[in-house]
Amino acid sequence: MIRRIVAYLFAVVAGCGIGIGSALGMAGLLPGASQLAFGDVDVGGWRSNFAIGSKTADPYTRARVARHGLLALAKSEAVYFTRATDNTGEPLREACSYRLSGGAMPAQWWSVTLYDAASMLPDNADNAPSVDASRSGAGAWEAVIAPTRPTDAAHWISSRNAGTFDLTLRLYVPQPTLLARPDAALTPPRIERLACEGGA
Amino acid sequence: MRRWLGPALLLTACAAAAHAATLHFAPDAIMGRAMDALAARGVVLHRFTAPERVTPQTQSVVRSSPDLFYALCRYDLADSGAWLTLQMAQWPDYQSLSFFDARTNNFATIRGSGKLVAVRLLSPRSAAEPGAIVSPTASGVILIRRLAPDAERFAAAAMASSGDHCQLERDGAASS
Repeated sequence: MIRRIVAYLFAVVAGCGIGIGSALGMAGLLPGASQLAFGDVDVGGWRSNFAIGSKTADPYTRARVARHGLLALAKSEAVYFTRATDNTGEPLREACSYRLSGGAMPAQWWSVTLYDAASMLPDNADNAPSVDASRSGAGAWEAVIAPTRPTDAAHWISSRNAGTFDLTLRLYVPQPTLLARPDAALTPPRIERLACEGGA
Repeated sequence: MRRWLGPALLLTACAAAAHAATLHFAPDAIMGRAMDALAARGVVLHRFTAPERVTPQTQSVVRSSPDLFYALCRYDLADSGAWLTLQMAQWPDYQSLSFFDARTNNFATIRGSGKLVAVRLLSPRSAAEPGAIVSPTASGVILIRRLAPDAERFAAAAMASSGDHCQLERDGAASS
């Protein structure tokens, strides 16, 4: 009899543990989880989830956005693309420098911002966390991502104290074509690795 | 073997229930923690508060944009008969007034580039009215975003914010 009671108690405890753990894991709520493991849109390696901010988002997306993109706007107002690798597929990291380049975007205003693994701006006082449409001007633009200010770049995004990081592309007031056919409407920024410490 | 059938079924049922409950309550819990963090940083109830420019040293919400001016108003319409009157002052560039309920849903957004916006926020289950939005939950947060990508524009946006209003009202009388 006691063995049966113990078996049922174990089933309750283990079942709750499995259920909570699997939910936290699948929703990206465990410490260190990347917000990049989800997304229903992929344009050239930049991933987005157009259900952000919407009541129609599935429970996993809602939980993940609450953790990694709280107070994000619905897609009719803004869409958010994120990328954590360079154009060769290698993770973005502070030890390397990169050239970020792009052109006009299908939106009223855009920006690219660097966030660390905790989804926060990296802890530095460089005042260079992003580049945006108002500073880069119309047409083609370039910025260098590096831990120290480059001498010959028009725009700089500082990766100092970022560790392994990602970039978020914000597109405010997106054109309808971007929402309908993102792969056709958006030419996302390129991320070209320039050099790494120690030549790695 | 059959004696393990009961515990195995119970384990499966508990796992499914705990999985669903975790997903259901996670956004509320995360939003609640975020509201507490905002309150700790001085974002009061029923008034727009403009935190400092987003920097590594001042950020309090994940993935905040350093290129935007934010003003936040937490609200609680649990008292029946209460509503909020809101005003977003004029700003020449992009600006928006967005509403988030206690489950993190962005249930309404009003774009207001170059113009003043005035609207009321009603408590859940209120009848729809012209010029008013009904909140799905009693509490939440309202957020003004203004495009302000440098210190000069941010200072101008902060100045414009003196015309922003978020005020609780009850039966025609303003409440604090």
